[in-house]
Amino acid sequence: MLRFLVIRLVWMIPSLFAVSFLAFVLIQLPPGDYVTTYIATLAASNEVVDQNTAADLRNRFGLDQPLLIQYAKWISGILIAGDFGLSFEWQQPVSELIWERMALTLVLTVSTLIATWAIALPIGVYSAVKKYSVGDYIFTFFSFLGLAIPSFLLALVLMYVAAVQLGQEVGGLFSQDYVNAPWSFGKVLDLISHLWIPVIILAVSGTASLIRVMRANMLDELNKPYVTTARAKGLSEFRLLVKYPLRVALNPFISTIAWLLPNLVSGSIIVAIVLSLPTAGPMLLQSLMSQDMYLAGAFVLLICALTLVGALVSDILLALADPRIRLE
Amino acid sequence: MTEKTTPPPRGCMIDRRTVLSGVAGLAALSSAPAFGQAAREAPELARMVAANQLPPLAERLPRSPMVVTPHERAGSYGGTMRRGLRGSSDHNGILRMVGNQGLVRWNLAFTQVEPNVAERWEVNADASEFTFHLRPGMKWSDGKPFGADDVVFAIEDCVKNTDLYRSVPALLTIAGKPVTVTKVSDSVVKFTFAGPYAMFLEQLATPLGQHVTLFPKHYCQQFLPKYNASLASSTDWPNQFRARCGDIEIPSRWGNAEKPTIDPWVITEPYTGGATRVVMRRNPYFWQVDTNGAQLPYIDQLVMNISQDVESLMLDTISGRIDIQDRHIDTLQNKPTLSQNMQRGGYRLVELVASSAQQCQIYLNMTHKDPAMRAMFANIDFRRALSLGIDRKEIIDLVYLGQSEPYQTGPRPGHPWYHERLARQFTDHDPKRANEMLDRLGYNRRGRDNIRLRPDGQRLFFAIDVIPTLYPDAVDTLELVKRHWAEIGVDIKVNTIERALYYTRGDSNDHDAAVWPGPGGLDPMLDSRDYFAQHPQGSRYAIPWTLWYVSGGRDGQEPPESQKRRMKLFDDARATADIARRGVLMKEVFDLTADAFETIGICLAVNAFGIARNNLRNVPEKMPQAWSWPNPGPALPQQFFFTT
Repeated sequence: MLRFLVIRLVWMIPSLFAVSFLAFVLIQLPPGDYVTTYIATLAASNEVVDQNTAADLRNRFGLDQPLLIQYAKWISGILIAGDFGLSFEWQQPVSELIWERMALTLVLTVSTLIATWAIALPIGVYSAVKKYSVGDYIFTFFSFLGLAIPSFLLALVLMYVAAVQLGQEVGGLFSQDYVNAPWSFGKVLDLISHLWIPVIILAVSGTASLIRVMRANMLDELNKPYVTTARAKGLSEFRLLVKYPLRVALNPFISTIAWLLPNLVSGSIIVAIVLSLPTAGPMLLQSLMSQDMYLAGAFVLLICALTLVGALVSDILLALADPRIRLE
Repeated sequence: MTEKTTPPPRGCMIDRRTVLSGVAGLAALSSAPAFGQAAREAPELARMVAANQLPPLAERLPRSPMVVTPHERAGSYGGTMRRGLRGSSDHNGILRMVGNQGLVRWNLAFTQVEPNVAERWEVNADASEFTFHLRPGMKWSDGKPFGADDVVFAIEDCVKNTDLYRSVPALLTIAGKPVTVTKVSDSVVKFTFAGPYAMFLEQLATPLGQHVTLFPKHYCQQFLPKYNASLASSTDWPNQFRARCGDIEIPSRWGNAEKPTIDPWVITEPYTGGATRVVMRRNPYFWQVDTNGAQLPYIDQLVMNISQDVESLMLDTISGRIDIQDRHIDTLQNKPTLSQNMQRGGYRLVELVASSAQQCQIYLNMTHKDPAMRAMFANIDFRRALSLGIDRKEIIDLVYLGQSEPYQTGPRPGHPWYHERLARQFTDHDPKRANEMLDRLGYNRRGRDNIRLRPDGQRLFFAIDVIPTLYPDAVDTLELVKRHWAEIGVDIKVNTIERALYYTRGDSNDHDAAVWPGPGGLDPMLDSRDYFAQHPQGSRYAIPWTLWYVSGGRDGQEPPESQKRRMKLFDDARATADIARRGVLMKEVFDLTADAFETIGICLAVNAFGIARNNLRNVPEKMPQAWSWPNPGPALPQQFFFTT
């Protein structure tokens, strides 16, 4: 086990380097650079940048230097000083910008995860056990509906109904009074009252697919001889289900942890944009669109690191939950 | 040296004494509440004065505050004005609302420069020396005095500091040399240029002219090594300076709540990378009053929510959660939705007069790298034939819902410099004549698909670059043009590309042709890119000629005689202070532009619109929309107020 851990950890270093370099190249691949994009964005509102200033900007950000030198500067800053650089657009340190948004992102992702599991697990088991019953058909119908509706569309429709028909405030995670207020009991209540819309929207598609996965897995297990044996020995139906087939059917849930961590940053970008949520997703997209290299690069690096860590964690958890899996 | 004094406008005659005597008179009348007479400062400020947290109004205002004549009537204090921003690169949305406080400003009609921070000025005979008289006693938003020292500091120590600005902004440079600013007295500064610069006042009234009043010396000097010895060995100080003191057009201008300004509202919740809204509260030291002597602004605070998505901004607008907005929602497609929901959202539409001349200007690259293409585009009869081949009426009806008229380019109808021939020549739809002209030019053979062949046997085909995300209407227009031109045997590709690629192709002169709205309709002197090869990113029919012009003949390609003549005339016009004389010179430019017929226009730029809530008053029903007139700033949002 220890050997496995060490090997995995050592392999992470070259992977991170490779990914960071690829990310840097990819961000630079589209034509133009941050300054071109900046000029073009302003031009969209008929705004003009002083011509001397534009040339200055390129020089100041080092955009007129070759790619390799830019990369070397960036990565050495990170390695030597832990300095992720300055965001071109905001003139703020990149690390500050990212951490500012991580707390709420974490809250949103974890609540969504809990909601998803809390809905998907029991329904999945129910549909499997009562296969082809009326209840199963109803849940199947709704879960296919949930799979089919793009979540951003659901967000837009819900927002329209809430804003125009009910006259409620939508978008964001806080009401106006609490946006910049210090944390208090009232603010937490306010957060909870705003959190349910994005949580429902994000949970809908996740729930739907998990119900299907859970149902299929359970169906595989329910006909196996060990279930029959257990039933023959007189175990109560509930205890039987929870103790044996459910545990085996859980494997895919544990595997989802691998992509759960990177989803912290990059998941649900479109929904977050539509709902104006102060999470990390919109900022990632924004930095990619404006070719704000250091900010985007740091995000990609973070996502990559989280993916690697997530994969490791889920491998370990799988081994713990299912004795049939060997790590070697 | 003869000096010409610009008289202050009529409204400026109320000085602090009048205001004070008014206050004294009020106090003398009785201790009873002032009957019918409105308060002269906001209640919250009056409370702070009473609690000794703030000096009395008379000490906060300059000796002669700028007097603003309210658009409709004098307003009352209070309220929160709500606006929307987009998540990225939308700092200019704040600038347009509050940051329009330069030495001078535009009038509402966008025709004349008026006093602002400077109460008056003198210009010498050859327009190379400008002496500005500031308002004695004027204060920054932290109560520290604003004066000549700040102006000198901003230009001499900041803008001309090569570590901060590798080259001085073009606006403060003439004949390759930057301006010199000297202090005459505490409230008088003199700008000296190396040569005549008659357009300086107009330029100063635009957003790019705001450096002069941007940097408070008492605050910003701590970030300059010249004043702060501890920075001498630092290489990072320019970044720190920009992060704390900002610049005209970067987000960090609105990211530091500590930095004093002279704006009507000051930042309390800053615009930073993680922000979800921006809040600004009234500046207790704001130096403008209404005609009753009441301090502006009327409205207590601005709240600008940051939407990542333009659709949610629309949703906020139609559900009445936005008080004034035009940015991002002013597309033609949104107009029906916004009109339909006027009642529900409780707002009205405000007309924004386009400052551009042309809605969709087609620039054929007359300096194309391929000699055959170059010869084709450079032929004036070819361009005339293409122009005659367009059915402008159909485009206007289908794409612009009938809201325009066929047009080429030039100052808009109603502008004193309107030029009939430049505006209307070759706008008829005459495919027969166009076909004859093309036949005569040697494109008389046709291929199988009825498209003409060039003398070298190639199909007559070229691509027109357009950015669909910026100008969806231009794509629709081009699709119709493609159909019209197919009838005269010319084939085009509507080349929809991403915006950065559009710029890159232009910069490296790789494009066959491109479209862009043609500016210069209300501000022909400030943006003349369609009148001659002036703008290295804008005059897309001949980028190499613009480089020749900008570099003074060192780079680029030498343009033809007509262009050189126009460049000379324009430079002369820019150095001429006398408006009538300037008009004569520009008329000559327009004559030459009309003869040369370099760009092909479709129709007059369509007016845009914005919304204002019904209870928000003093908003003009009609105002220009431009960057040089950064709407709604010059309509003076500080005198907007809420009735309920």
